[in-house]
Amino acid sequence: MSQRHISRRAVLAGALGATAALSLPRIGFPAVKKGTALRMWILKTYVEPTNKAIEASAQRWAQKHGASVTVEYFTFEDMQTKYVAAIESNSTPDVGQLETGAPARFAGMGQLLDLTSFSKQIEGQVGKAPANISPVTIQDGKVYAIPWYVLGAFWYVWRDVFDKAKVKLPSTFAEAKEAAQALTRPKDNFYGMGQSWNRTADGYGVMQSLMYSYGVGWADKNGKYKSIKTPQMQTVMKWATDIYTNQMQPADTLTWTGSGNNENFIAKNIAQTSNGPSITFAMENAVAKATDAKDKKMKEEALANHVALPHLGGPDGRRMQAIAMSMGVFKGSKDPEAAMSLIAHLASPEETVMVMKDSYGQFAPALEKAKAASKDYFNKNENYRTFGRAAEWFAPTGWPGPVTAAAAEVQASNVLTDAPAKVIVDKWSVDQAIEWEDKKIKEIYDTLKG
Amino acid sequence: MTRVLTWLGLVVFLLLILVPFWWIASMSFKTYEQIQFAVSIYVPHPFTWENYTGLWTDTRFPLWLRNSLVTALVVTLITSVVASLGGYAVARLRFPGREAVASLILILYLIPPALLFIPLYRVLTELGATNGLSALFLSYPTFTVPFCTWLLIGFFKALPEELEEAALIDGAGRVTAFVRVLLPLAAPGLVASAIFAFTLSWNEFLYALVFITDETRITVPVGLNLLIYGDVFHWGQLMAASVITTIPVVALYIFIHRWMAEGLVAGSVKG
Amino acid sequence: MSARSRRRIGARGREAGTALLFLLPLFVLVVGLIIYPFYRAIWLSLTDKLVGYPERFVGIRNYTYLAQDDAFQQVIWNSMVFTVASVALKVVTGLAMALVLNNVIRGRNFLRGLFLLPWITSTVIIALTWRWMFDAFPGRGFLNSFLLDVGLLSRPVAFMATPAGAMTAVVIANWWRAFPFFGVSFLAGMVSIPRELYEAASVDGASAGRRFWHITLPGLKHVIIVTTLLSFILTINDFNIIYVMTRGGPGTATQVFATYSYQVAFNQLRWGRGVTISIFVVPILVVGIVLISRYLLRDRR
Repeated sequence: MSQRHISRRAVLAGALGATAALSLPRIGFPAVKKGTALRMWILKTYVEPTNKAIEASAQRWAQKHGASVTVEYFTFEDMQTKYVAAIESNSTPDVGQLETGAPARFAGMGQLLDLTSFSKQIEGQVGKAPANISPVTIQDGKVYAIPWYVLGAFWYVWRDVFDKAKVKLPSTFAEAKEAAQALTRPKDNFYGMGQSWNRTADGYGVMQSLMYSYGVGWADKNGKYKSIKTPQMQTVMKWATDIYTNQMQPADTLTWTGSGNNENFIAKNIAQTSNGPSITFAMENAVAKATDAKDKKMKEEALANHVALPHLGGPDGRRMQAIAMSMGVFKGSKDPEAAMSLIAHLASPEETVMVMKDSYGQFAPALEKAKAASKDYFNKNENYRTFGRAAEWFAPTGWPGPVTAAAAEVQASNVLTDAPAKVIVDKWSVDQAIEWEDKKIKEIYDTLKG
Repeated sequence: MTRVLTWLGLVVFLLLILVPFWWIASMSFKTYEQIQFAVSIYVPHPFTWENYTGLWTDTRFPLWLRNSLVTALVVTLITSVVASLGGYAVARLRFPGREAVASLILILYLIPPALLFIPLYRVLTELGATNGLSALFLSYPTFTVPFCTWLLIGFFKALPEELEEAALIDGAGRVTAFVRVLLPLAAPGLVASAIFAFTLSWNEFLYALVFITDETRITVPVGLNLLIYGDVFHWGQLMAASVITTIPVVALYIFIHRWMAEGLVAGSVKG
Repeated sequence: MSARSRRRIGARGREAGTALLFLLPLFVLVVGLIIYPFYRAIWLSLTDKLVGYPERFVGIRNYTYLAQDDAFQQVIWNSMVFTVASVALKVVTGLAMALVLNNVIRGRNFLRGLFLLPWITSTVIIALTWRWMFDAFPGRGFLNSFLLDVGLLSRPVAFMATPAGAMTAVVIANWWRAFPFFGVSFLAGMVSIPRELYEAASVDGASAGRRFWHITLPGLKHVIIVTTLLSFILTINDFNIIYVMTRGGPGTATQVFATYSYQVAFNQLRWGRGVTISIFVVPILVVGIVLISRYLLRDRR
C-alpha cells in the first residue's frame, strides 16, 4: 500500500545494505548454528506428492546445515483456526506458510517478525514478486512475509461437450452462464455448471473473483469499508443466483462439500466448474491406476478432453481470487536467523523447481527467477501453461485495497456466500440480500481494530 | 392381534436400527468406482479389502486410533477412581449438605461442552496442556465424572449395607470398608461405569476438535471429520474407518449390555 | 438404613471429615475445570475478546448485539425446532419400542442390547452415516438408491439441499441415535408397573388401548418426564451431529447455538461474542435442571 512512498534514496540504501550483507561469508544468507531445531507449518494441499516435496526440500536444508526441521501441516479447512490456536497458546512455529490474509492478520497482532531488510536480500537472489502479489506481504510499509507461490483457481470445462453442442469455450462469466443454459440436459442427469456457494475456497473464492472481475469491492484502495450497494453488485448477485434457476446445475449444488464439484466434474455430471489443479491431478492419477487397456484408454480420453481455462473475466477485467502463499517468521521463534535461512532455501529457484515437479501444476511461483526457472515445467501442455500463469490474474481478498484483518474476517464470516444462499434458499430479493451483506460487512469493519 | 403387532414392530425396529449400519459396512467393501458409479448397490461384488488396507498404509488412521485408545483408557481410570470415591461419599456417608451435593452432580453433567469449550480452552492454554492428549485427560472427566458418579450413587445405594456395617463394627475404618467390602460387591456397577466412561471418551468430538490441532495427535472422530471435508474423496476408506471405530465399543458392549441397561435404568429411574 | 445401624455408625457430623476426603478429587475437578471456566465464560461474555488481542470490558454489548442479530434469531428458532421435533419423536418411538419389547419374552435382553447399538456409536459416525443415507449421489445415498430402484423416484432427490430437508435430516439423525435410550428406560419403567393392575383392568373388560392410556402411561409418567427433560437439555446443546452433517447449512438453515458459537469463536475469532451465544442457553438449562431435580427428589420419598 505504501510502496509508492519508497524513495530512490531508500532503494539505494536498501541496495547498499543488501550488498553489505551479501559480502558476508555466507553469501547474504543468515548464519545457522549447528543443531538448531525449527518448527515449520505448511499447507496440506490435496495433492500429496506436493506436500512431501516441500517437506523434502525443508529436510535438504536441515541436512545442509546440520540442523533439524519438524514439519507440521494445516489444511484448507483449519488454516485460520490452527494459527489462531497457536497464537493464543504461544506455540507458534518458527516458520509458517501464510495464506493470503494471514500476514495482514498476524502482523496486526504483532506476531510476525519484520522482514523488510531480509526481503531485500531475497529480492537480490530470487527477484521480485509481481505488483499484484507483493502487497499481500506488506503492512504499514513493512514487509512481513516472503511471497512464495500462488495456488490458483481455473475454469474447468469438458471440451468435447462444448464441441458437440457447438458452443464456444467461455472466457467471461456471462459467456459461462449462457453456455450452461445451452448445455444443460437434466433428463440425462447432465448439467451445464456446478458452482456451489459453500464455505470453501470453491465458494467464497469464486464469489470474490466474480465481484472483482465486475469491479465490485467491499473495500477501497486504502482498505477502508466501501458500500457494495451498486449496480454492478446487482449484476453480480443476479449472476450468482440465476445459475440456480432453469436447472442449469444439479439440485444439491448448494450443499456440496469441497470435493462435491470435483466429483461431479470427473463423473461428467457437469460441464463447467471452478477448481484448483487438483482435478487434473486426480485425472492423471486415474490414468496411472487404470486397471486394463480399455479402462486406460477411457481415462486418457477424459484427460485429453478436460480443459483448464483461465478463470473467467468480467467487464472490469480478469481477476482471480486465489491463495497467495508466503512465508513468515513468528516473533516467538528462538532462532530467527535460522528461520530466515530456511525461507531463503525454500524460495531459491533450484528448490522451487524441485518442489514444482511434484506439484501437478498447483504451485505457480511468485518470485521472478523462480518463475523463470519453472517455465519448462509448465510448458508440458495447454492446461499446465494456464496453471503457470496463475500469478497474472491474482487478486487478493479485499481488492482493490490491501489485505487487512477486516477483509480476512469478511471472508471468514461466510457472509459472501450466505448472501446468495439467502436469495436461492430463503427466497429473498437480490436487493435485500445485498443490503444485508453490506450491513454485515460494514459492521465487521466498524468493530474491528484495523 | 398383539402378536402380529409385536412382530411387525420388531421387524420395523430391526430394519430401522440395522440398515444404516449395514449400508456403511457394505460401502466399506466397495472400490471408489463402485461407489461413484453406483454399481452393485446392496451387496458389494466384487468384494474388496483395499479400503481397510489403504486406511492403514495411506492415512494417519492408526495414529488416531492409538490416540483415541490411550485417551479413553486414561480417562476411564481417572473417572473410575474419582467417581467411585465421590459416589461412595454421597451414597453412604452422612454429612451435612449430602442431598445438595447429589443434585449438584447431576447439574454439572448438564452444563454443556458447547458453553465451556471456549473458557476451558484458555484454562488449558494457561496450564500448557493444549495441542496434546493431556488436554483431553483434563477435560473429558468434566463430563464423564458427573455422569458416572450419579450412576454409581444409584448403584451403591441399591447394595445392602449390612456387610459394611459389620466391618465397621469390627473396627475397620470407612476406607477399608469401602475398598474391601463395597467395591467387590459393586463390581458390576463399576464395570458399567467404566464402560460408560470409555464410550463417552471414545466418541467425544468437540473438545478434541478444538483443543488439539496437530494432525498426528487428534483422535478418530476429529480425523474422520477431516477426511470428509477435504477436496479428496476417499469414501470407501471413510466407511472402513467408521466400521473399525465402532467395533471396540460394540465388543465391550456385548459383554456388559445387561449391566449397562440396568445401570442406565438405575440412574434415571431410581435417582 | 435402620435406626439401630445409624446409631452404631455414628452421629451425622462425624463423618464429614471422611466425606471430605472421599469427595476431594471430585471437588478439585469440578471447581477447577467446570466452575472456574464457567465463571470465566461469564466474564468473557462481557468483553470484546478477539483472538490475538487483549480483551476490553464492554458490558452487555455482546448481548444487545445478539438480541438484534437476525442470524441469531434464526439460530434460536432452529435450535427450538430441532430440539422439540427430535425429543417428541424420541418419546413416541421410545414408547413404541418399549411396548414391543415388553411383549417379547425370549431374547428380550438380546434385543434390548441390539437396539441400543445406535446409542453407543460415535455421533460423528452417526452424522456421517445419515449424511450418506440422504446423499444425492445414488452410489452413496441409500434413500435415493432404494427409491430409484423401487421406482418411486425417477431422478435422485437432493434431500438436504433445502432448509426443511436439511433440518429433517439432522432431526432424524439425532432421533435415531437416542430413541433406544428412551425405549430402554421406558421398558424398565413398564416392567416395574404391577401386573395386578393390568389383570384387574382386563377382568373389567378394558381394551388394550385403554389399559395403555390409564395404566401404562401414568405409571411411566415419572420416567417420561425425567428422560424428556434430560434429552431436551442435551439436544439443545448438540454440536456434533449438525456440525458434521451440514455445518449449519444450507445458509443458516440448521445453525444452532453450539455450531454458531463455534463459528463465531473459531472462524471469526470473536470469543466474547462466541461465548455469549452459548450463555443464552443457560436460562433454559436452569429451568430444565430445576424441574428435573424436583422430580428426582420427589422420587426419593
